[in-house]
Amino acid sequence: MLTELGFVVLAGIKFGALYALAALGLVVVHKATKTVNFAHGAFAMLGAFASFLIVVNWHWPYWAAYLLIPWAIGLIAAAMESVILRPLRQADMFTVVIATVFLGIAISEGFRLTYNTELLAVPSLFAGPPFIVAGVLITRDTLWVIAGALAAALACIALFSYGRFGRGMRAMAANIRGAQLCGYSIDRVYMLAWFLGGGLAGLTGVLIAPVTGVSIDLSIAIITAGFVAGVIGGFDSPKGAIVGGLLLGIAESVSAAYVSSAMKNCVSFLLLFLVLMWRPQGMFPERSGRSV
Amino acid sequence: MSDRRPDLAALGPALLIILCAAVGLRLDSYPQYVIAVAIISMLVGTALVVLVGLARCITLASGSIMAIGAYVSTLAVAQLRVPYLGTLALAILAGGAGGWVIAFLGTRFRGHNLAMVTLVFQSVSIILIRESRWLTGGAEGIHVPAPEIFGLAIATDRAFLIMIGIAVAVMTLIVTILVRGPFGKNLQAASGNEIAAEAFGVSVRGYLTAAFVVSSIAIAFAGALLAPRVRILDPDSFGVLESIFMLAYPIVGGMHAVWGGLIGGGGLRILPELLRPVADYQELFFATLVIFVVMFFPGGLTELIRRVVASKVKPTPPALAPVPAVPAAPTDRDETGPGGHELLLVESVDKHFDALHAVNDASLRVPARAIHGLIGPNGAGKTSLFNILSGFLAADAGRVTFAGTSLLELRPRDRIRLGITRTFQNVAVFGQLSCLDNVIIGLGRNAVLHAMGASFDHFARGAATRGAQRAALAALESVGLAAQAYSRAGSLSLGDQRRLELARAIVYHPRLILLDEPVSGLAESETEDLRELLLRINAERGIAMLVVEHNIPFVSRLCRSLSVMGGGRIVAEGKPADVISLPVVQQLYFGEQATS
Amino acid sequence: MIALRATDLTVAYGPVVAVRDLSFSLESGEALVLLGANGAGKTSAVEAIAGLLPKRCGKVEFLGRDISRLSASAIVRSGLALVPQWRELFPAFTVEETLIAATTAAIGRAPTPLNSVYELFPVLQERRRQTAGSLSGGEQQMLAIARALVTNPKLLLLDEPSAGLSLGIARTLIGAINRIREGGVAILLVEQNMEIARAIGERCCMLRAGRLAWAGSMQEAMARNEAERVYFGAHGRVC
Repeated sequence: MLTELGFVVLAGIKFGALYALAALGLVVVHKATKTVNFAHGAFAMLGAFASFLIVVNWHWPYWAAYLLIPWAIGLIAAAMESVILRPLRQADMFTVVIATVFLGIAISEGFRLTYNTELLAVPSLFAGPPFIVAGVLITRDTLWVIAGALAAALACIALFSYGRFGRGMRAMAANIRGAQLCGYSIDRVYMLAWFLGGGLAGLTGVLIAPVTGVSIDLSIAIITAGFVAGVIGGFDSPKGAIVGGLLLGIAESVSAAYVSSAMKNCVSFLLLFLVLMWRPQGMFPERSGRSV
Repeated sequence: MSDRRPDLAALGPALLIILCAAVGLRLDSYPQYVIAVAIISMLVGTALVVLVGLARCITLASGSIMAIGAYVSTLAVAQLRVPYLGTLALAILAGGAGGWVIAFLGTRFRGHNLAMVTLVFQSVSIILIRESRWLTGGAEGIHVPAPEIFGLAIATDRAFLIMIGIAVAVMTLIVTILVRGPFGKNLQAASGNEIAAEAFGVSVRGYLTAAFVVSSIAIAFAGALLAPRVRILDPDSFGVLESIFMLAYPIVGGMHAVWGGLIGGGGLRILPELLRPVADYQELFFATLVIFVVMFFPGGLTELIRRVVASKVKPTPPALAPVPAVPAAPTDRDETGPGGHELLLVESVDKHFDALHAVNDASLRVPARAIHGLIGPNGAGKTSLFNILSGFLAADAGRVTFAGTSLLELRPRDRIRLGITRTFQNVAVFGQLSCLDNVIIGLGRNAVLHAMGASFDHFARGAATRGAQRAALAALESVGLAAQAYSRAGSLSLGDQRRLELARAIVYHPRLILLDEPVSGLAESETEDLRELLLRINAERGIAMLVVEHNIPFVSRLCRSLSVMGGGRIVAEGKPADVISLPVVQQLYFGEQATS
Repeated sequence: MIALRATDLTVAYGPVVAVRDLSFSLESGEALVLLGANGAGKTSAVEAIAGLLPKRCGKVEFLGRDISRLSASAIVRSGLALVPQWRELFPAFTVEETLIAATTAAIGRAPTPLNSVYELFPVLQERRRQTAGSLSGGEQQMLAIARALVTNPKLLLLDEPSAGLSLGIARTLIGAINRIREGGVAILLVEQNMEIARAIGERCCMLRAGRLAWAGSMQEAMARNEAERVYFGAHGRVC
């Protein structure tokens, strides 16, 4: 019974790690630019689709997918920011939300038109026998996804929080005017943030493709899970995104196994609801602090 | 002066719907189906203009509300044998209840979080519908019986078109009346400037809730009308994607007018028919269209038309009513007058922000009919004290009484009933509304239900409406803005906007006006004009004033007494000439050097 | 050589015109003070010069180059640094990281070495690993000035640097600012406090209701009590 629970929790951690990565992409963009990118799920779907193209269609080695796709999706995201979001810098939040929502829809539709099948299958990176640890069955694929996603997330947090790369974004997040007075250009920093967020989305797509296959549902599933995980963790906290994602994954898995699989979708929304009602600032709120 | 004819323009949208139905009756069966469905979408568009355009709430729950209406109506007919018309009423009730639930849970938030609450409602509702197989047929759907009205079966496309045309026209008329009347105006005020709205008795949460309820009623009604048309209901056709696409109706058609909902809803619903040859590309085209509109034509089609018209029709420059000369320079009149007690009494008010002692044992008094000033350098605590007096900040200690009533426990929106109004440092007129409507809000009769009733009175041009307009015009006249009564407040110059704020503050005949930096940003001449206007209003109407200002020449020639704040304390009080020359006051502004 | 020239500068947001037709100039190495009561438009003027506020019309030239249309980050990168009224620091950044962040502006021009900045404000060196949010008001002000210095400016704009600070700290700041000026940096100072204005400025411009009310040397201003007139409209006269 415990091994069954262990298996369920492990499955939850697997998806949780993916949700964490997705949420991190959203949080990075929101922290630096104060906007939520509702096209994030569509970017992830593009990443998944690209991995299908690379691995299944063109028969390139798998590592090429991991190497190229995050950059490619990052560049696409940065381009979208320049073309669509930059003219909307002065617009109100409603307009920006609508723009990113429909951008996501446009991208999903574009995908659906090019590849009309329902579901595309992508093989796992590692084939081979699974491990058994403490009586729980762990497939190599599961291990790779968990380790890969969490490692990438931590690396990204390190990149963002320390060193040159993230400094401009963090400065913008803390005080836009102050950041400008340091010489940081809003245009460049925002584009960088979207590049990073897009790269994370692309990586999420590559990791999730063998697990769920590539379909248009991926787009909505990822933005929803990412957003809920972000709210749970506290929308401006990168480590909150990881914790939120893991919590969400485990909660979904447990409820799917022990309640019903239909309730699985309900769970994420109920969690979101509970967090909004009782602690809307999330588990790791950004301390607003004295204005300096 | 006042128009006695009813507001016939409100009939426009409903007439358009009847016209579409009439045109459809001449066409074949399939176009009749398309037009019927388009008319239903027009209703949805109208409802969303109220919620998304006027109330500025992003909602992702339209699909689920429509589903609620459709399923309640269908189940009531199929299981409970309620006559179809009765089920329409049930659908309205259910939709309204759904809207109320969303508002109750969500209106404590704005922006993303509010949208998320609507998403939760949407998703959970659809999941519940899908899982309640015993009731709703689950994912397979439920068959909708053909409706019967008074024994007549509605089975042909023609019959549907007539029924839908009439039903939608009636509902649209009701919504249009609400939008054009005080309800719609107050709703725009509430979503446009929450603080100013609350200061004049408009409860922001109340109006947002009402917006959710009204729009949900209309959308559920639309769902109940649509159900028999589609014959089979299944939950997936009311999903999140549908909600998102319905958002496009007001965004493309126009967010600030019922016509926008009509054009957007009808137009976008017919679009797939026109795009039939490239049916696959519909959603892509749709999404791209929305992005395009949002980037280049914010506000949608009707906003574009309005701006083009406004730029072509150059308004004639208003002949500014000359502000009459002040009768006499301020003297040391006996301030006590009739009932010469202190009108506003502030005693030992204290306020801390963490370690900062923003207001330190501050006391002042404003006698009836007096003009009292409050000055002090930046960071002295004037703003904090002012916010405490106007109800937007809680004091830590002290008492504030107005004509004997304690103010500190009152919410901002309850102050107007006592006779206290205010103006704002960052001028807070409701830019979308006309000057007349801005001032009418100042009358303070802004409870939600009252405003709804008043909207019907407005439609009929009843006595109450005419009375309010007369009062508002009189107030505009006394500040010299009568010529601008029907101009949009947002298009006025700053000086005129400040006068408008004043008109809004005096129309209620208050006893005290709190003025927050009333001449900030004005040129020298405009400052003079405003000073004379304030003196005249005080002399003619006997309204007391408390003025917070930085412009010391202005304040010394306006106020008969001043309080000076420094470091959170009141450091001096008295007549302007005396107070300003005090060393302690000079030091506040100039530092430690003694002035010669 | 003229370091800064503003011609008919008009700054407006929405219907509010904060600055009207302001014209003045500042020589290299000079110190000019903008005086005026609150709401007179001083902050709007310097923020518009620094690119943080849009200008409705008028021209700003810095070292002969038209900077009217440049973004704030481009302006600071060209050598014009602002220490804003509300400091605008990053609460979670350490002192050191704040200064390193500012080196971004000096890319291609060689930033002021941190050592010379620490020399000017030794207390910042002591506290260099502390977060900006945990510093006292005076230390934060020093950090804000230090941050601007790191960008290697030729012109430093300071908006009420002494606001809310004790007289002792204000005097320390005066000393630091004068030393910066001795290093060849031109200073445009916005102040309400006359003592500080006198200690730093050679010339002054007085603003009222967004317009230039008076301009001249600091000594003239004190002699004629211009300040009081502009602030208080002394003796009942509106000038």
